[in-house]
Amino acid sequence: MSDLEIDRLSKRYGKLQVLTDCNLMAEGGSVVTLLGPSGCGKTTLLRSIAGFVEPDAGRVMVGGRDISMLPPNRREVAYVFQNYALFPHLTVAQNVAYGLTVRRRPRAEIARRVDEALGLVALSDFGGRYPKQMSGGQQQRVAIARALVLEPKVLLLDEPFNALDAQLRLTMQVELRKLIDRIGITSIFVTHDQAEAMILSDKVAVMHGGQIEQLAPPLQIYDRPSTSFVADFIGRANIMPVQVRAGRTDTPQPVPTPRPDGPAVMIVRPENFEVVPGNVAGWPGRIGFATALGATIEYEVDCGMPEALRVSMARAPGSGPLAQGTDVTLRLRSTDGAIVLGRGAAHV
Amino acid sequence: MTQSLFDRIGKAVLIGLACLSILLLVGPSLIVIAISFEPRGYIAFPPSGFSMHWYGEVFQNRQLMDAFLTSLRVAGLVMLVCLALGIPAAFAAIRGRFGGKSALNAFLLSPQMMPGMVIGIATLFFGAYFAWRQSDLMLVVSLSVFCLPFVVRIVMARLAALDPGLDEASANLGAGRAQTFFRITLPQLAPSAIAAAAFTFIEAFDNVTVALFTSDVRARPLPVELYYLVQFESTPMIAAISALQIGFSLIVLVILARTIGLDRIGR
Ligand SMILES: Nc1ncnc2c1ncn2[C@@H]1O[C@H](COP(=O)(O)OP(=O)(O)O)[C@@H](O)[C@H]1O
Ligand SMILES: [Mg+2]
Repeated sequence: MSDLEIDRLSKRYGKLQVLTDCNLMAEGGSVVTLLGPSGCGKTTLLRSIAGFVEPDAGRVMVGGRDISMLPPNRREVAYVFQNYALFPHLTVAQNVAYGLTVRRRPRAEIARRVDEALGLVALSDFGGRYPKQMSGGQQQRVAIARALVLEPKVLLLDEPFNALDAQLRLTMQVELRKLIDRIGITSIFVTHDQAEAMILSDKVAVMHGGQIEQLAPPLQIYDRPSTSFVADFIGRANIMPVQVRAGRTDTPQPVPTPRPDGPAVMIVRPENFEVVPGNVAGWPGRIGFATALGATIEYEVDCGMPEALRVSMARAPGSGPLAQGTDVTLRLRSTDGAIVLGRGAAHV
Repeated sequence: MTQSLFDRIGKAVLIGLACLSILLLVGPSLIVIAISFEPRGYIAFPPSGFSMHWYGEVFQNRQLMDAFLTSLRVAGLVMLVCLALGIPAAFAAIRGRFGGKSALNAFLLSPQMMPGMVIGIATLFFGAYFAWRQSDLMLVVSLSVFCLPFVVRIVMARLAALDPGLDEASANLGAGRAQTFFRITLPQLAPSAIAAAAFTFIEAFDNVTVALFTSDVRARPLPVELYYLVQFESTPMIAAISALQIGFSLIVLVILARTIGLDRIGR
């Protein structure tokens, strides 16, 4: 199992700087997701790994070997295209066999390996069909079999589930993760769906404006976002300007922080706030909007800041939300759960 | 309600057009074929009897048969030249990345705007400048200029519709450029290349406007030969030749339909 390492990769198209100094490390056999809004450079980064895009600077290493100079057909890096890119004039079996055919493997070996690969994606009986005669989910499995049959060192997938309906998507996500674990291949996924990133990955690389803002395991990304963009993009977040003084914030409930004195931002997840009645230490405010979602109750509380603070509380059976206009106090459940960042990390 | 009224009007127009085209296209052809069976020595409709006499005359006419062979040879050559130049040109026009691409496109397609006559005369004058006389070669060259835009256009249309991602997929799976071209691009281009070939062949085979000016006087192609023939002959032999040509075109069409399917021709 080979590590994949991206080292200070940059790319510009004309005046548009699409990638800036991207660093990424995927340990052998692990799954890393590139997550970010549309247009942030995910596809460009993935295509650079496959060699379809020639970066202006930086290196791509697989198993410690620099592959930056190799043409796409010699990289041993499998790419599953967003639209699958199956060859329409070839049958499913011929599609899967393609990479072996161009390598002039013996016929018996090709037949055996194609059978295996189709078995892996549960399409053994479909070898004789043409791509057109397959559903979207099946086509995707063909594309994956076609990539895996070559036993590549790295598997790259660009928004592989986009074209599938919600039901199938979840099934395929789980199936694919199981498959990757079974064969143990280093994989890079691109997605703009944070739930998908959570399900699939060992690590998430959150991208924003051509940069990787944070690379960490999913829960760490959620609990310890390194920028307010990451906090806002992964789950929901209340982002508040604060002042740090002597190792703690100047908020009603002070939060300890190693940051130097001065302006900062504090990030609080909605579930780390609770709404309590009366006047206790906390953020006084008034309920602006309330919805009960079954398992939780969601509040928007007006605390005199430019934006209302969002709160998400577990709902006790039989209970309902407080009425709009009720005067309440917001309290942090855990001061450790609040995140204090420098102002520099506060762009959204 | 209005929808179905529109539908009905549309259908009526369609049926009307179909009838009209049958009347104007198929009708004359049928009449020509009927006349070709006339046993007597002059043109009459309906024919007074049924005879293959004039077909025999055609096949015994050395000059006509030579003209037919000249046309076959020339059309075959024009087809090959146009494919050999047209497919790469279409590639450059669609896939190429270079300055002046749109100028090149316009240049490639411009002969289509020009009447065949102009191309014929221009080639003739151009040849005269270099003391190059009418010949099979000049005929092939002038007809190739005339037909090339059709090939480029047909192949370009198909190429533009191909997913460039397929080339990347092929490279990603380990294929070199040549392998990708022969295994992925060309097979998908084949139907349009065959259609272009057939089109070029038929066009080159029965072209008069260009050939009139550039063909060798001693080895005229069939259409030019016929053009001169009708001025002296008024026997049903002319009809027999026409009938044979109709048959010939039909055979080409049937072969095309069998190999690639009628609906895919020209796509
Ligand atoms: N070949 C290209 N030429 C010019 N601009 C491009 C090209 N490819 C991508 N871009 C631009 O680079 C940016 C990032 O694109 P992309 O990597 O596709 O983003 P994502 O996959 O995250 O949506 C976009 O602004 C896009 O318009
Ligand atoms: Mg993309």
